[in-house]
Amino acid sequence: MTSLHKLGAIAALTIAASVLPHSASAADAKDKAAMAGMTGMAKKARVELASSAAFTRDGQLLAVAKQGDHLLLYRSGDQGANWSPPVIVNARPEAISGDGENRPKIAFAQDGGVLISWTKPLGKPNTGEVRLARSDDGGASFATPITVHRDRQEITHRFETMIVGGDGRIYLAWIDKRDLESAKATKKPYRGAAIYAAVSDDGGRSFKPETRVADHSCECCRIAAAVDTDGAPLIFWRHVFEPNERDHALAKLRPDGTPASVERATFDRWKVDGCPHHGPALAVAPDGVRHAVWFNQKNGEGRAFYGRLASGGVDGQRFVGGEQAARADIAIAGHRIGILWKEFDGERTQLHAEISEDGGASFKRLALGAANGASDHPRAIAFGKDLFAYWRTELEGMRVFRLP
Amino acid sequence: MKRLVLISLLLACVASAASAFAAGFVALDRKSARTLTDGTTHTAPTIVALWSTDCPHCKKNLGLFADMVKADPRLRLITVAVEPLSAEVATSLDRIRVPGVRYVYGTDAPEAIAFALDPKWRGELPRTLFFDGHGNRVAISGGVDSASTRKSLGLADRR
Repeated sequence: MTSLHKLGAIAALTIAASVLPHSASAADAKDKAAMAGMTGMAKKARVELASSAAFTRDGQLLAVAKQGDHLLLYRSGDQGANWSPPVIVNARPEAISGDGENRPKIAFAQDGGVLISWTKPLGKPNTGEVRLARSDDGGASFATPITVHRDRQEITHRFETMIVGGDGRIYLAWIDKRDLESAKATKKPYRGAAIYAAVSDDGGRSFKPETRVADHSCECCRIAAAVDTDGAPLIFWRHVFEPNERDHALAKLRPDGTPASVERATFDRWKVDGCPHHGPALAVAPDGVRHAVWFNQKNGEGRAFYGRLASGGVDGQRFVGGEQAARADIAIAGHRIGILWKEFDGERTQLHAEISEDGGASFKRLALGAANGASDHPRAIAFGKDLFAYWRTELEGMRVFRLP
Repeated sequence: MKRLVLISLLLACVASAASAFAAGFVALDRKSARTLTDGTTHTAPTIVALWSTDCPHCKKNLGLFADMVKADPRLRLITVAVEPLSAEVATSLDRIRVPGVRYVYGTDAPEAIAFALDPKWRGELPRTLFFDGHGNRVAISGGVDSASTRKSLGLADRR
């Protein structure tokens, strides 16, 4: 990326900062007061870089990112070299989750509607609502956001994923703790959380009552989604298998959001009473093969993995990158499979990619760039036959790399 | 106007409470993180507990460590919130009365601080580094109990 391109991204972010009203909330005041009491080095606010990008049908690249209590939508007509001034997604400010595992998402309804989803944290720790805003004019303006689930308890409904099925229905799935909370109330044990899903058949304007996909998901890892070759949505998440194995599960959803199947998808048997904070990614090839990347501890070593999910096992499982490889993502464009990951080299965070032209049998490796400061997870995106890496970094802004 | 005064008063209360909680927090960079987790700098059995506000298992560990340190004056506890300082960091520690020096992430790149703390740590929480006071270090991810904590600190089991 040239420095001019970087300037474009930084300029866009700067504009965003200057146009937004800033409302100091009680939480802000508490945090400022907390920082006033800190000794030692310079103080720092939480950096929330989490962002998503996707191409519209006509090749415009849209990116959504958090700025304070607003989500901002940026547009690029030249594959990320330059970005438009942002459009505010939620006119009314509200709390928004913006860390790596809990990023805002973009999808497109079949009628061209632009859909943005996010998690709105509530007052109590680790609680939230899953929100969605729809634009009827290609992202120039957005309708008032809706909460997609009927359950309004102040509990976890977080880490949503959004996917548009082959039938045009909009599916949202998220981590939900209503079953854990009911179990707690009756003093019964309950492993982890649950996955719930809600479906819209009017392009994201409204959602049917949510349904449970599976009990016993892990609590704070992102959920992956992909469309199967028959158009049905696949949901892939970190699960807590008995007694405490944090492997992954895969579900295929019916048009009403109920699971047609739920199966164990990885078999690394990472036993831990803890939070990996490290969710998987999934892409389905035109031949129906399910290519996945995930993080697990296997034989005492935490590593990023690639493999092809098969019934009852994984084909071709191998490490992705080196010992520090993290936050892998995967996308498929035509017959090309692209894997991205970041890897700290002792000084800086490097962004790497691998491309396969032979269905995952072999991969060619590329170095894409580096970041000196904090960085979001890299996002692999496809447009037509092309693969791209989208990476938002603290010092450089929104960066796009076209994979050769 | 009355309402404004009330809101200001409320914010001032919140602010002063938060300041009191926050006193003594130290921000980490990669250099201080490396020093903190260098086994030779710990001459007493020491627990360095990495945690975050959104990790329920971390709070269980912190409660256990707080109790153990109170019961045995030989032990030292150091906490590292793997996030920048916020009011929630302070209140989380105060709620379970966690003693010891409190670190938070500073302005350095988070991945650099994490690598300096423990190159084998991949971000899962809780992550606890146990120092026996004689230069040895054991790292454990996930929930622990008092027996495994004592063993990791090189202390004989009390019967």
